[in-house]
Amino acid sequence: MRKFNKDIIFGLYDDETDLISAVRIAKGAHLDIYDVYSPFPVHGLDPVLGLAESRLHIAGFIYGMLGTLTAFLGMTWIFTKDWPIIFGGKPYWSVPAFIPITFELTVLFASIGMTVTYFVINGQGPGVVNPVLHDRITDDKFCIAFDMHHVDESSAKSFFEKTGATLIDKKKI
Amino acid sequence: MITYSTPSRQRSLLIAGMVVGIICLALTWFSDTNGQHTRFWTNFLHNSVFFTGISVMALFFYSVCHTAWAGWHVQFKRVWEAMSMFLAVGLVLMSIIALGLIFGWHHLYHWSDSASVEADALLQQKSSFLNTAWYLVSIGIVAIWFFFAWKLRGFSIIEDTEGGVKDFKFQFKARWWSASFLPFVGFSSALVFWQWIMSVDAHWYSTLFAWYSGASLFVSMIAMTILILIYLKSNGYYQNVSSEHFHDLGKYLFAFSIFWTYLWFSQYMLIWYANIGEETVYFKLRQDQYPVLFYSNLAINFLIPFFILMRNDTKRKVGSLIVVSLIVIFGHWLDFFLMIKPGALHTAHELAGGSGHGGSMSEAHGESVGRHVGDAAAQVADGGHEVAQGAVHHASSAFEAGFTMPGFLEFGTLIGFLCLFLYVFYAQLSKANLIAKNDPYLSESLHHHV
Repeated sequence: MRKFNKDIIFGLYDDETDLISAVRIAKGAHLDIYDVYSPFPVHGLDPVLGLAESRLHIAGFIYGMLGTLTAFLGMTWIFTKDWPIIFGGKPYWSVPAFIPITFELTVLFASIGMTVTYFVINGQGPGVVNPVLHDRITDDKFCIAFDMHHVDESSAKSFFEKTGATLIDKKKI
Repeated sequence: MITYSTPSRQRSLLIAGMVVGIICLALTWFSDTNGQHTRFWTNFLHNSVFFTGISVMALFFYSVCHTAWAGWHVQFKRVWEAMSMFLAVGLVLMSIIALGLIFGWHHLYHWSDSASVEADALLQQKSSFLNTAWYLVSIGIVAIWFFFAWKLRGFSIIEDTEGGVKDFKFQFKARWWSASFLPFVGFSSALVFWQWIMSVDAHWYSTLFAWYSGASLFVSMIAMTILILIYLKSNGYYQNVSSEHFHDLGKYLFAFSIFWTYLWFSQYMLIWYANIGEETVYFKLRQDQYPVLFYSNLAINFLIPFFILMRNDTKRKVGSLIVVSLIVIFGHWLDFFLMIKPGALHTAHELAGGSGHGGSMSEAHGESVGRHVGDAAAQVADGGHEVAQGAVHHASSAFEAGFTMPGFLEFGTLIGFLCLFLYVFYAQLSKANLIAKNDPYLSESLHHHV
């Protein structure tokens, strides 16, 4: 069962420009942001938050190459060693005919591999409960959350009031 | 208001390049031994098609952006306008080819030779399209393209003085003309590429060809745009063209390199799979006699842009963009070399070999390589003329500068045409403000963020 061990204080903003300027102020004041939530990907938020570039695409490249090799070497082995069949008078090792399948398996490996990797590193999966701080984060509000073990309540509150948050609340997750 | 003024050093450099091109063309003309001047005319056709195609692709993409109400490109849209104005020069260049066709100056196209057509059932069948009248239609189409380019540039320039950032009057007009240009260029470019390039191999056809060569030109156009913008920016113009814009252009370069490869492979695989003699001969000839170009074409135009531009940061950095753009322009120039030269050389040999080659198509082309050597050798044994000897030389050796591989004269001609293109481009660019200050989308372009 999930343990509720984090005391979160959060503020909601009406607009993504308010959110980005608030994040900038928080960074300037060295407030340790626990997380930022938004109903859609906000343009330019990542560099402001100082998030490192995702390495997921490197994994994707490796999965893709793995798919390329699997398909190409697999077909080579099958059609030259394991079970050679003549198709339309073509040679056993018909590279042009392998290309489309190699392409498809490259895409398949890369997409499935990246999806699974994404779920694993984010701790997602069947039976996982995702706490939602406020229902309207999934609709039209933008949220900055602080962990109260790192940022004390009064400075968080004054920060939210200063930056124009429309709602301030606490929740244990 | 910022306008571009051509530095005198750049102008003399471009003129020197054009002189190099003229010298190379003259050398090609006079070094010809058999009186057909095939090498001269193929070089001329190759470069004219390549640079005319680049300018029409600039106009095409400019129209796409207008039709889609795109804003990101507005800062440097004058670059595409100036590139599309080269169509006027392309019209002259292609008219020379067309005049040559009427007056019989060259033998680039097998279907233009009436004796061959009479003896060849397949050419007779195709003669309703492959004839001089339709070739003139293709020249007329270029004139219409130029008319659209001139019209769109006109709206853009008049907006500088009569428009305003909140006034969409000229935008609506430009959009109307762009949207009418797109279907027109979509169909007419296919006709033009078939006539100009595909009909060099008059017996062969591929329904994908127009798209394939069009994609080749599109990639070259994007690469050219990147290089020109980097050059202009390093000289103090277009300071607001940021890595965000280069990122988008880099994405186009990357995506359309893949698109080109997709079309190249689609064309290749279907022909390889079906293995019909009249189609396969095109690739058979190139794989057997032009293996270096044939395979390096794929490596240069697919593997290099694919692996270098795959990353996010290489699309934003000037260095990697310059390297890839230079390689890709050269690669697609080689691609056109490979489309035109083998077929033209084949035609030259056919015509030199006399009428014995006529008859049915499959006889002349089904196993062209083997028969070619045999026929030509037989003629030499009969005391045949020196051209037949040339044919033997071609078929038996893997290397012949100017035909199986680009020689120095080809590179010199490329430099000449490139300098002509850039000269016209800079002359047109300096005629108007570099930045369309009254374009309603200018602000969007200045704040473009990907």
